[in-house]
Parts: sequence; structure tokens; C-alpha cells
Amino acid sequence: MQGDAQREVPGRYYDGITSRAHRVVLRVENGEACLAGEAERRVPLAQVRVSERTAHAPRKLTFADEACFEPDQRAALEALLHATGHRDSAVVRMQQSWRAVVIALGTLLLVLAVGYLYVLPAGAKLAARLLPVSVERQLGQGLLGVLDRRVFDASKLPAARRAALAQAFARMAPPRDGAPPYQLVFRHSRIGPNAFALPSGDIVLTDQLVELLRDDHAILATLAHELGHLHERHLTRRLIQGSVVAAAGTVLFGDASALVAGLPALALDLRYSREAEQEADDYAAAMLRRNGIGLVHLERLFTALQELEDELGAPPPYLSSHPPSAERLARLRQQLD
Amino acid sequence: MSAVFESAVPALAREERIEFTATGGEYFRIWIVNLLLTIVTLGVYSAWAKVRRNQYFYASTRLAGSTFEYHGKPLAILRGRVVGVILLGAYQAALRYHPPTAGIVLLLIAGVMPWLVWKSLQFALHNSSYRGVRFGFRGSWKGAYLYYLGLPLLAGLTLGLLYPLVHQRIKRFQHAESRYGTTHFAFDAPVGQFYKVYGILVGLLVLGGGVAFGVVAGLAGGVAALNGGTADIAVRAGQVLIVFAGVLGWYAFTLCVVWAFMAILQNLIWNHTQLGPHRFRSTMTWPRLAGLYITNTLAIVCTLGLFIPFAQVRALKYRLESTTLVVAGSLDDVVAAKGGDVNAVGESVADLAGFDLAL
Repeated sequence: MQGDAQREVPGRYYDGITSRAHRVVLRVENGEACLAGEAERRVPLAQVRVSERTAHAPRKLTFADEACFEPDQRAALEALLHATGHRDSAVVRMQQSWRAVVIALGTLLLVLAVGYLYVLPAGAKLAARLLPVSVERQLGQGLLGVLDRRVFDASKLPAARRAALAQAFARMAPPRDGAPPYQLVFRHSRIGPNAFALPSGDIVLTDQLVELLRDDHAILATLAHELGHLHERHLTRRLIQGSVVAAAGTVLFGDASALVAGLPALALDLRYSREAEQEADDYAAAMLRRNGIGLVHLERLFTALQELEDELGAPPPYLSSHPPSAERLARLRQQLD
Repeated sequence: MSAVFESAVPALAREERIEFTATGGEYFRIWIVNLLLTIVTLGVYSAWAKVRRNQYFYASTRLAGSTFEYHGKPLAILRGRVVGVILLGAYQAALRYHPPTAGIVLLLIAGVMPWLVWKSLQFALHNSSYRGVRFGFRGSWKGAYLYYLGLPLLAGLTLGLLYPLVHQRIKRFQHAESRYGTTHFAFDAPVGQFYKVYGILVGLLVLGGGVAFGVVAGLAGGVAALNGGTADIAVRAGQVLIVFAGVLGWYAFTLCVVWAFMAILQNLIWNHTQLGPHRFRSTMTWPRLAGLYITNTLAIVCTLGLFIPFAQVRALKYRLESTTLVVAGSLDDVVAAKGGDVNAVGESVADLAGFDLAL
């Protein structure tokens, strides 16, 4: 070590008072950094900050009063640091090693995949369950009003028919206890057959869907599917999951552009949406079974949707918020067997 | 001894080009490790990551033989990020649960934004040093409210007619109120020049839009006329194709105009900035800037984001290396703002306890 300590590193010293460069030589003696030349200084090594090691930027020493030393050549300083036993932090050593970086990249992908597939859905489910229904109900307040102005007219179904459907559904027991309160809302739609649940607890059913299905039990199956969305707190869960995915996307791609960051987030969110649809399908199937209604009526719903899709042409499954009806049919048939 | 150190001899003006020695490969390694740690710590580490990144970029920026140094502390940055997340979170929550409140939150954010911008300007400059001497910002918070809230509101009321003026005033505020040690920067780009650059931008966009619309309408109409005015599937498809090509062409044209605008503006701003007796010179050209952005975007998309660190280094390298400092005399005479200047500076530094906001 004695020989190493005699190493000399020529460089420039800035005293922190003016921008003038002082030609100096750096040496380490008795645990002190010693500068000699146009400026003289001795400082215990412990009070000297060494900048992190990088391959292309020069390393420099900074003193407590912000005076600093920049070596003319990095190799000499590197050798001196090595001789004095200076060690970089674990993170810096990782940053300098391609092998560690490849491992970090693999770990990153693994963490993201596990988080997306398991941790986030489970966490969102728990969080949604802890959220009081009253808070959830405020989420979509006013949404129905907007829809009424834009896409809906008053229902043209006879009042008796609406009351009969509402009563029949009210008599059905949910597959498990604790179903949230809901209101059935009938509307005439300007955009075709549809049914959906709003976080406010409104289950909207369009006249067109009632006419399309022509089967009261299939209508009840549809309502059961929508009640499943409410009961499973799907909208709240998706809000949570969507926010987290968007935030992670910003961290990962935020430096690139809003478009590059936004598109993957959208695609990832659609997968959660299809999962929610499957869960609601399972809920509907369980509800029908519990009330002694054959699953064929749920099948009737999917078949009707399938015909509609064939007619209109449906988007590919990975660009869709709902699973294709054929897939939903196949899943249901498995349950029937 | 290199020319840099011959301070005793007053030389003629000489040019010092900024050199940026960072490489994409090295920044990629820093980026990946920091990204992993950031995700694993649910974002908390991002403040440390920012310090690492800035330290690397500053140390890689070389002017006249010396490099820059970044002194920001992670906890100060973390504090800034927490404030940012709370503000944005409050806005998002209000928007979802109770839209009228969101308006109030937005007003609140607009109300504190100038103060936050002012704080982060101070933070960014105060934590940068070159040759052991720190930079600083002396602008007042009142100035920040005037230039970041008052004037933009006025520009909005005049439908953007005042915007070039606002832009010039903001740049003047940023540059003229900055200092290196006790030496102040100066900014003398005239408002007229800003109006000229903005005028060219708007003119090109309007002209290009008119030409694009005319060509597309003409071609689409022509296709229909050639087929005797029928509107069968083939004609409609042809029209859709023409409109699509037109939109694509318009998009490419807009991007090129915007890149040219950015290059001209960057040159305008830096060619009128001075540090004491030294002038800056900026020589960005829009074809190089356009080429840079096109290749960066394509590469980022094709590599699913892995090219991001390389893209950042390339963009930064071009920006920095197009800047030259025309040194009049010597760079050795700058005095740190420590001795005689304690009161004015010391106060703001104490006040600065540390805060950074980079949304």
C-alpha cells in the first residue's frame, strides 16, 4: 500500500470562491487528500465526496466547502481510488455491469408481469371491497343524465311489461348474500341493443335488447350479469387498476411521449375489462342456477350477441372490452356439461 | 498548459463548444437499474434516480475543459414529487367524485403553480455548479406570478395574440434573472423576433392546411367525377384513401414545421443570451432536429421502449453540442456568490431548504 499511496494525480483545483483553475497534484498521505501546486490543501479522506463512477464522464472530488478537484485523466484518479480502497455503492456497481443490467431488466419484466396479472387485481379487489358503497355510488352521479340527453329516449315498452320484468328480477336471489341495492332503468336507445350497470347502482336495459332476446329468462340472465358487475365492484376496481397502470406507464415511457405511454395502458386496461366480463358471466350463471333457471337462457343471450357481432363485424379480441361471444358461449357450454 | 488556463493573457474572443460525452449504452444501464428500483419501491426511489441521472448528465457536459456538477438532494426532490402527486391526485379524485370541486382544485393548482415554478427554478439553478461555483436565480415570486399566471391569462383573453410577447417575457425572466456566481446572465431577444417566428409558424400551418385541403378535396371530387358521379364502393374507398393520405401528409408537414419552429426558437433564444461579457451561439438546424425526432420515435416504438435512454442521450447531445460559448477574455474571473453577496443570496438559499417540482 505504501507504494500506491505515493501515486500522484495531476489536475485542476477550483477553490469554490472563483472559477479560476489552479494547477495542482493530488496525493494521498496518512488518510488525507493533499493538494500541492498553485493551491495547497489537506483534507481528511472522510470529508471528500467522490462522484460516482461512470465510463465516460470524468470523476471528481468535492470538498465540504464545494471546492473541487478535477483530474486531467481519469485513469490516474481511478488507480488512486483503488489504492485507497474506495468502493462504489451497490447501485453504481450494478449500473456499470451489463450482466447485472440484464438481470435487472429480467427482474423488472417479472415484477411488472406479476404485478399486472396478480398483485394489482387482488389489491384493487380488496380496496374496492373496503370502500363503502355510498362512496362508490357518488362515482357515477349524473352519468345517466348525460346519457339521457345524448343517446336515450324514454322507454316505449308498456309499463306493465316493465313492472313484470322488474318484479321477476326482484324475486330472484343473488348467488351470494350482500348484493348492493340497484334500480332497473328502461330506456329506448338510439344506438341499438345494450345493457349496462352504472356505479350509481342503475342497471340500464334498452328496449332494443328486450325485443332482440324475446325470452324473459334471457333478459333476467342479462340483468344478473349486470348485477354481477355491481356486486363485484368492477367499476371501482377498474378505476383503481387503470390509474395504477397509467401511473406505471408514465414512469416507464413518460419520457417518450403521451401517445407511446397511453396506448399500452389502454391495451392493458382492456384485458382487465374482459376479465370483469367473465366474472360477471360466472355470476349470472350462478344466479340462474340458484333460482332454478336453465343456463340455456344465458346461452340465448350470447347467441343473440354472436348473431349481432356476425352481422356488424366485431373487433379482434385483444382490442375489445368484451370477450367474443363465441368464447363466452364455449365457456358456458363447459359449465353446462 | 492548455489555453484554458492562460488567464493572465487577455485573449481575443474564442469559441468554446459544449461537449456532451454521455453515451446511450451507459445511460441505458443507469436507466434500467433505476427503473427497477423505482418500480419495486412504488415510485419512492424515483427521486434518487433523478439525482443519479442528473449527476451523470451534468458530469458528462463539458465546457472549456471543465464539467458541470449537480448537487440536488433526493429528499428535496421527493418532497416536490409528493406535492405534485397530491395536487394531481386531488384533481383526479375531485373530477371523478364531484366535478364542481375539480374546478376549485384546478383554480387552486393554477394559484400555486407560479410559486412552485419559481421554487423549482431556484432549485435547479442553485443545485448546478461549474468549476466549483454555483448558479443561482434571483427572480422574485412576484415576477413568477406575473409571467406564469398574469400574462398567460392576458394572452388567453386576447385569443393568443399576446402569446409571443408572453413567451419572450418568460424567457427573459428565466435568463436575465439567472446568475453564475455573481455574474448575471442577460437576455436581449426583441419581442418583434418572437412575433416573426410565431408568425412564420402560423402562416406555414395555415398555408399548408389550405393546400392540403384543396388537394384532397380536388382529388376526391375528381375521382367521383371520373366515375360519372356514382358513389359505388370502389369510388368511396378511393376517396377514403385520398383523405387518409392527405391527413398523413398534413401530419408529417405539421411535425416538420413544428421542428423547424423549435430549432429557430432555440437559436433565437440562445443567440440573445449573454453571461457577463460572454455570448452564447446556437446553431440548431431543423432537418437535423427532424431527423433526430423521427428516428428516435421509430426506434422507441420498434424496441417497445428500450431505446428511450438512447433517444434521450441523442436529443440532449444535439441540443447541447449545438451551443457554443463565445468567451470574451477569460472564464476564470467569476466569483462565487458567497462573500459580499451573502444577504440577498443567503436569504433565498435558507428559504430554499430544498424543493423541486418537475411534473
